[in-house]
Amino acid sequence: MRMFHAVRRMILYRPYLYLMNALAWAAVYMFLLLSGLIAREFFAGITGEQADFNVLTIMAMLIAVALARVSCILMGAYTDATLRFSVSGLLRHNLLKGVLRRPGAEALSCSPGEAVSYFRDDAEQVEDFISWTSDMLGTIGFAVAAMGILISISPRIAVFVFLPLFVVMVVFQKATARFEAYRQASRDSTAAVTGFMGEVFGAVQSIQLAQAEQHVAHRLQTLNEVRRRLALRDRAFSLLLDSFTGSSVSLGTGIILLVAGQAMQAGDFSVGDFALFVNYLGLATGFSEFFGFFLGHVKQTSVALGRMLELLPGLPAEDLVRANHLFLQGELSPPLPAPRTEDPLRVLAAQGLSFRYPNSDKGIAGINLTIQRGEFVVVTGRIGAGKTTFLRALLGLVTLQSGQVLWNEGPIQNLADFMTPPRVAFTSQVPILFSDTIRGNIVLGEATAEHTLGAAVHSAVLEPDIAGFEMGLDTVVGSKGVRLSGGQVQRVSAARMFARNADLLVFDDLSSALDVDTERQMWERVFADPNRTCLVVSHRQAALRRADHIIVLKDGRVVDEGKLDALLERCDEMRTLMNWRDDIALEA
Amino acid sequence: MGIPLRQYYRLLARYLSPQKRMVSLLGILIVANLMLQLARPQLLRIFVDTATGTRSDYALGVTALAFVIVALLGSALEACSEYVSETVGWTAANKLRGDLAAHCLALDMSFHKAHTPGELIERLDGDVTKLSRFFSQLVIGVFANALLLVGVVIVLFREDYRVGIGLGVFTLSAVGVLTYLRGIAVPYWAATRQLSGKFYGFLAEHLAGTEDIRANGARGYVMFRFFEQLRAWLPAMRKAYVADVSLWGATILTFALGNAIAFGLSAYLWAEGLVTIGAIFMIIQYTELLRWPIEQIRNQMQELQRAGASIARVVSLLEKRSRVVDGHVSALPSGPLSVELRGTSFSYEPDEDPVLQDITLRLEPGKVLGLLGRTGSGKTTLARLLLRLYDPTDGSVEIGGVSTRDTTLAALRSKVAFVTQDVQLFQATIRDNLTLFDPGVTDNQALAVLSELGLGAWLDSQPLGLDTVLAPGGAGMSAGEAQLLALARCFLMDPGLVVLDEASSRLDPATEHLLERAVTRLLANRTGVIIAHRLETVERADDILILEHGHVIEHGSRVDLLHQPDSRFNALLQTGLKELLV
Repeated sequence: MRMFHAVRRMILYRPYLYLMNALAWAAVYMFLLLSGLIAREFFAGITGEQADFNVLTIMAMLIAVALARVSCILMGAYTDATLRFSVSGLLRHNLLKGVLRRPGAEALSCSPGEAVSYFRDDAEQVEDFISWTSDMLGTIGFAVAAMGILISISPRIAVFVFLPLFVVMVVFQKATARFEAYRQASRDSTAAVTGFMGEVFGAVQSIQLAQAEQHVAHRLQTLNEVRRRLALRDRAFSLLLDSFTGSSVSLGTGIILLVAGQAMQAGDFSVGDFALFVNYLGLATGFSEFFGFFLGHVKQTSVALGRMLELLPGLPAEDLVRANHLFLQGELSPPLPAPRTEDPLRVLAAQGLSFRYPNSDKGIAGINLTIQRGEFVVVTGRIGAGKTTFLRALLGLVTLQSGQVLWNEGPIQNLADFMTPPRVAFTSQVPILFSDTIRGNIVLGEATAEHTLGAAVHSAVLEPDIAGFEMGLDTVVGSKGVRLSGGQVQRVSAARMFARNADLLVFDDLSSALDVDTERQMWERVFADPNRTCLVVSHRQAALRRADHIIVLKDGRVVDEGKLDALLERCDEMRTLMNWRDDIALEA
Repeated sequence: MGIPLRQYYRLLARYLSPQKRMVSLLGILIVANLMLQLARPQLLRIFVDTATGTRSDYALGVTALAFVIVALLGSALEACSEYVSETVGWTAANKLRGDLAAHCLALDMSFHKAHTPGELIERLDGDVTKLSRFFSQLVIGVFANALLLVGVVIVLFREDYRVGIGLGVFTLSAVGVLTYLRGIAVPYWAATRQLSGKFYGFLAEHLAGTEDIRANGARGYVMFRFFEQLRAWLPAMRKAYVADVSLWGATILTFALGNAIAFGLSAYLWAEGLVTIGAIFMIIQYTELLRWPIEQIRNQMQELQRAGASIARVVSLLEKRSRVVDGHVSALPSGPLSVELRGTSFSYEPDEDPVLQDITLRLEPGKVLGLLGRTGSGKTTLARLLLRLYDPTDGSVEIGGVSTRDTTLAALRSKVAFVTQDVQLFQATIRDNLTLFDPGVTDNQALAVLSELGLGAWLDSQPLGLDTVLAPGGAGMSAGEAQLLALARCFLMDPGLVVLDEASSRLDPATEHLLERAVTRLLANRTGVIIAHRLETVERADDILILEHGHVIEHGSRVDLLHQPDSRFNALLQTGLKELLV
């Protein structure tokens, strides 16, 4: 996507807001011209060039201009905040929407932490850039007007004002990339220090027991030293730039002094003119720094846009900048539950499902499966046999390389969108709960009847835990709330699945965090409703014994399938798996 | 305004005195720069008077040249003094950070139980970074800026007392008003930061949970919550922006007033014939010169106040003392160590129910004790007492015949090893994870231990061998491999007593086999206390101790207990095995 196009789309997202903002800031800059002119009037007045001079008028004008300027600034801050928020909000919205449209298990091409930095830093970079374009318009207006005024007074001297400014601008443009690189290095080294501190204090017991306190402290000081060096380098560079600007202005002023001095002696350049030149030179220096800084950021903005697009592979680039409603005002209503399906499950069939993870030989190949309504099907196999991958492939959480899935004999076009409630619901192996109440995590914003919720909690064997919380279902979980155990997380997530009232329930290995008794209890409750259709990954006996059908996976392929007894007779892999001793239930 | 001056002074004296020469250099640079700044308007005055007078071109040239030199020198000095002050600040802050880290690392676990790593990062990094500015710029900066203000007012006084009084009063009131207003935007920014923190927390969580979101059809719900967050965030951000620029607006108005005063006074003096046009130009230049230091002082006062809060927190942290103090016995006997608990009780907090009550047991040197019990029965706490992570509230713990209270921590911990269930891994090289950053361990030692424990193949599969950096939190390493690495740490220290909290998660058979082998080797000719989760481990114990609610409910030799049909141990084995017989 071309940078220019993206910037145009962002500006045109809320065109009137942008216009208001640009006008407000143009006024803020233009009022500065007036202050210089007033000072010139003052000198003209006292030296008698100007008749009917009254210093009180000059003083009142100074205050009036300042008041007008401050009003524009206040208005500009309001519009700027709104504009910035709309721009980054739109980008974040489009990013999130795009990520959530991708297959669930491969939605991100990087870690969530890294993805958050795209949402935050790269959106901010674009937000800054759009906001700065309105400053740029104001600055250009200021520069043109100032040049006009100075040239009208003395074209020869005006040249000397703008020459050093041009140099400053170019230097700042060139320096910006390096400046940001230094800053980034300095930030990274800070992150290294705080990251290490976090690990150290998280592992303080191990460190004390290993008597590694001194070694750790030493390592911390090494990291601190690196950070100090990089921070000082960053600082030195920006000081160098400041110093350079200062020197350019000094030289410029020196030249003006020389040229203007002669003109003043000759009588064609007044003290007021001189004051105006010195004043504008100071102001214009700041602006040319900004100008250079802005140009330097063109590249970075383009990089930021590129990075955000990387989060949305396979989607049109236009999706990133498409205008969408952000509901910043007006009615915002919670989502409606998915309508009941008109085609309830009779039979689900998978044919030749194949998927291989990129840059790895892990995956599944040519897997077939048929589930009739009311069946309990178990997928089993060793660690790394492809059980989870198979579930992901079936649910459209990864992109199939070949094969298809049929719902009541009809092939499914878009698996990821189709294999969702009310047709299918899923509990992943390591479920994620959101910072919300337990209730919120179960109902997911849908209006859910109390008895449905109660039944879901019961099926998930969650009642004893809920009873143990003071706030019951309204207990807040997640980073700001109660910390749940792995088993509790898995059961809340199971309750979330039960509450969807889906035709087909899919469980990924519950035994990784549930003890034997609880898991058995859950299966008993699941079986209380003979109408339930379940697809389950497990190697616990409680599940295997009840299975209508077992699929044994090994190295991504089906090695055998059937009822447990038959498999135990003829399948080596099944026997090996059965001989694994389950953990002793000491923890139960 | 709540600035604890004495604490400021103590902290400054402690961390700046090692850098006396840099600090003196800084002082000289600042004063020199100040002189140059004061000189510039004087030169401009001479210039204007010369240009409007009848003196020669030569004089004009000299003044212009002098101005350029003074200005260039000023820029250079400014940069140098800034750089020196940053250096001083960073050096002092790093020293303080190091001291604090060492101090916190030495505090016992009751401290660390009460303070999360996040909180300590905030103290050691957040607060100290604020103090870094305190060391470098605040004290010296406030001083230098105040000096500049005083210098300007004095020079103006010398010109004319009315100008001196007028602009002196203006300076004082400007500092007062702007300092009063300085904090205007702070609460708004805090509110905004809180909302943005919440928003990014929301994002991180949901980006990590895409699989659950997609498969449970929760996209609409996620977008709904996204919109909810935006709606709350925008008004807060607007307020913060407007509050932020109000301070800027106040500054603009204040200095417009200052300029107006300067204009008025100058016009009066000119009308009275007391000053030249050059002097008026100079007065106006000095008025402009006031702006920078006044704005600086405004910001610095705010930072000084914030530094006050940081200093208080840092000082209180430095005053914390460890509850576990060194004894006098500086070496334990070599070889396998006996363990003896006599009427040992323990509670984490004085008013809490005891976690262990009146435990008495003896384990002969070289024997292995299997520790069984449900979650919360006190197994881990008992292990912690053996390592003296805490002292018992009652009774005593003796290792190798010496009470743990009487030994130095170093002596105890060099002879007693603890392998925890959750092995702590660092985002560092495999070498550092193995040696815990001890540079004294050679690569050969490290390689030997790893291959002895069967981690050789695993190490070979790592791209950079010992230099491979492990992923954050040890991602990509199975629980079994992590525990093997922790066992390897023990092999490097050669203890006389090994306390092992076995991994309870399911392991694949290959790793499980390696672990079995490693534990066997580690326990050879050593005493062992094992919190067991696996049948194989229980089978290697000589003695069995079963805990319930902090009490010993069964203790004896494993073989004896096995032969008593009604023993708890037998009952436990039955429930454990029941699953196999379903």
